[in-house]
Amino acid sequence: MIQFEKTTLPNGLRVIVHTDISTPFVAVNVCYNVGAKHEDPEKTGFAHLFEHLTFGGSKHVPDFDGPIQNAGGTNNAFTTNDITNYYITIPANNIETAFWLESDRMLGPKFTKKGLEVQRKVVIEEFRQRNLNKPYGDTWHLLRDLSYKVHPYRWPTIGLIPEHIEQATLEDVKDFFFHHYAPNNAVLVITGNIASDYAFRLAEKWFCDIPEREITNNIIFPEPLQTADREITVHRDVPIDTFYVSWHMGSRLDQDFYAADLLSDILSGGNSSRVEERLVKGQKLFSEADVFLSGENDPGLFVATGKINEGVDFEFARKAMIEEVQLTADSLITANELEKVQNKAEAEQVFNEIGYLEKAMQLAHYEILGDAGLINKQAEHYRNVTPEDIRRVASEILRTGNCNTLNYLSLKK
Amino acid sequence: MTLKRNIPPKVWGVDRVEYIEPSRHRLTNGVELFVMNSGDQEVVKIDFSFKAGSWYGNSRLDSTMAASMLQEGTTKHKASEIANIFDFYGAQFSSASSYDNNYVSLLSLKKYLPQLLPMVSEIIREASFPEEEFEILRQKKKQRAIVDADRVGLIAQKSFLRNLFGEGHPYAPVASPEFYDTISLDGVKSHYNSFYLPGRMTITASGFVDTEVIQLIEDNFSASWGISNPLDNLNNHQLPIAEKTVFIEKEGANQNAVAIGKLFPTQNHPDYPGLKLLCTILGGYFGSRLMSNIREDKGYTYSIHASPISFLHNGVFLVFAEVKTDKTDATVNEIFREIQKLIGELISEEELIPIQNYMLGRILEDFDGPFARAHTFTSLRDVNMDFEYYNKLINTINTTTPVAIRELARKYLIPESMSTIIAGTR
Repeated sequence: MIQFEKTTLPNGLRVIVHTDISTPFVAVNVCYNVGAKHEDPEKTGFAHLFEHLTFGGSKHVPDFDGPIQNAGGTNNAFTTNDITNYYITIPANNIETAFWLESDRMLGPKFTKKGLEVQRKVVIEEFRQRNLNKPYGDTWHLLRDLSYKVHPYRWPTIGLIPEHIEQATLEDVKDFFFHHYAPNNAVLVITGNIASDYAFRLAEKWFCDIPEREITNNIIFPEPLQTADREITVHRDVPIDTFYVSWHMGSRLDQDFYAADLLSDILSGGNSSRVEERLVKGQKLFSEADVFLSGENDPGLFVATGKINEGVDFEFARKAMIEEVQLTADSLITANELEKVQNKAEAEQVFNEIGYLEKAMQLAHYEILGDAGLINKQAEHYRNVTPEDIRRVASEILRTGNCNTLNYLSLKK
Repeated sequence: MTLKRNIPPKVWGVDRVEYIEPSRHRLTNGVELFVMNSGDQEVVKIDFSFKAGSWYGNSRLDSTMAASMLQEGTTKHKASEIANIFDFYGAQFSSASSYDNNYVSLLSLKKYLPQLLPMVSEIIREASFPEEEFEILRQKKKQRAIVDADRVGLIAQKSFLRNLFGEGHPYAPVASPEFYDTISLDGVKSHYNSFYLPGRMTITASGFVDTEVIQLIEDNFSASWGISNPLDNLNNHQLPIAEKTVFIEKEGANQNAVAIGKLFPTQNHPDYPGLKLLCTILGGYFGSRLMSNIREDKGYTYSIHASPISFLHNGVFLVFAEVKTDKTDATVNEIFREIQKLIGELISEEELIPIQNYMLGRILEDFDGPFARAHTFTSLRDVNMDFEYYNKLINTINTTTPVAIRELARKYLIPESMSTIIAGTR
């Protein structure tokens, strides 16, 4: 159970505080409700490029990293398809430095031509390092593009192509800021060694004078119901054949999310899972296999994948995986299997509540979803899932016509 | 009162780091148990450390295969039964191999320890090394190595170590995935029988460790087993004369990987704290000279780092980056230019003070909470050191001078002493 207090400033900024005196640090976490899904399809990768740019300084701050390092802290950020999240961890007595920096970032970053030029290059090198120069690095480009035809989850946060990043202009950058970065589109979470009334006072002091702004998010059209299975095959310079199969599932707030999550654990969470026992070790079809959720806020994907062992027939292995997954829609899982994955969910919840920074990020994530209090309801939701729920959710997700198959084959063969 | 945003808030230095030594216990078989008890969540982490790393292997990969085989079967339980018990109680079990030590680790809710610790004990004492599981694992690891052999970053880092230590050295990664075909189950078993012994084991328990937990550890790990093996590998490896430049072709690479460095003092060397500081200035944090120059000014790379890496018997200095292919030479030149600057020029107070504060903040993190403290303690103990290292490090950070830093650079960062490894395309 995580105790927290919450208030909303007049400019719409939601502020959440959780005190944890076991650490000498404080985390200041600012989560903006803007991610890759809010991008223009012709200018993808922008939310992430923008995140890079904000570290180049702001209205009253020459650069971000210097002051934080000088105060003994660290900072970083990440962008997902749904959100952009900035965080600072800092010794508690230097907390005010974090407020100074994050409030100034929200007030208005400093955009320079040189800053944009350099960060465009850095992000393109990141694109190369993670996606182009790494075996299987373009998997998510291919899988998203195959699985989504309308919803902006069809591109990854790094962007569709490096050219979109190359073409970003200062005008685009400023535009993006004023449409998405605003107190009324963000959540500020403070956790760690700080009393809540002091944290709220500082939040008011540093964030109150930032004006509310008009948020203009693109309308996100939902992905239409898929009615026919899709399949593509690519050949790449990789050593081992692999495949990814995706099925559309519900959103993070859908009550069936918990059953789907437990289902993926029954199939491949841990060494005693079905896929690991039967296909990896039993039939020796794969060197590695996984069944997992893509885990976004809007309706996401239920995914199965496997790296196929030398000498094993590709079609045979892929079919075996799909049959294993399908089995959960046809017959009930055992009570013992369910108890196992529920225990795991419970333990993971407790493990996640140890670090003050993890708690800050989770509180922010749930607040963006609608209510920070959801954090304390997760364990119960997992406990309430029944074997019948799992079979029903499996048969809904795995229905014919909802399936996308990416065959990723080695050129070397 | 209006807010003066252009004046940064006052900053206080880190004046005190609370080390909090672990409490020490001795099991009846002589095994030392260190306890870091704190935390209000009922979570316990127990780490078993064995002097059984690749340093001691008769053949390379014996140690890593032994570690991975532990949970693949005991005299009483099959791999699937073992997996099932950890999964059922939501515990995280791992068995890993490193250069000098091998580790077994359990993270669990305290309430399930009575069910889990007997299994951990059985794994450590009675692993059975079934042939079938061994073949599956061999195949799995080989497949992974085949994929890794396509990644320029890993190619460069591995050949960097091979270049400094020589092909057969226990710290040198194996050159090809085919090496996995040569490992013998007998060799792996013998590694386990010789090194996973009470006389080579220490235990660290952290988190919610009350007397009940300590008693459980005593109950499960105080027996004697195996035949103790007093023989340790002596450090009599002849190191080669390293090549100054190595290029490994990887056709069609989108980026080249650059690894530059040399052999370096180990962590127990009196100069090590100063070298840690020196490497931080060069490439140890986001605002470092290499990051500022090569990423933030020129945009050649997503990230670049410089660090001292210390094993028990040897240390290395490594600068590493993955860079735009046509900027490879430019990057190498800039790295050496930055090294020359450290040798030729004195660092300004303006640059040094934030680095001192930053490093003190990281030290504070090393002691933040029972798990971090236990990790910090264990990694020092495993190289025969203790928290005294932090006294020296803090003292060095607080009292160093620009001249002292330049002297270290002159002594240890001579460009002619470095090797440059590049993996990618020309």
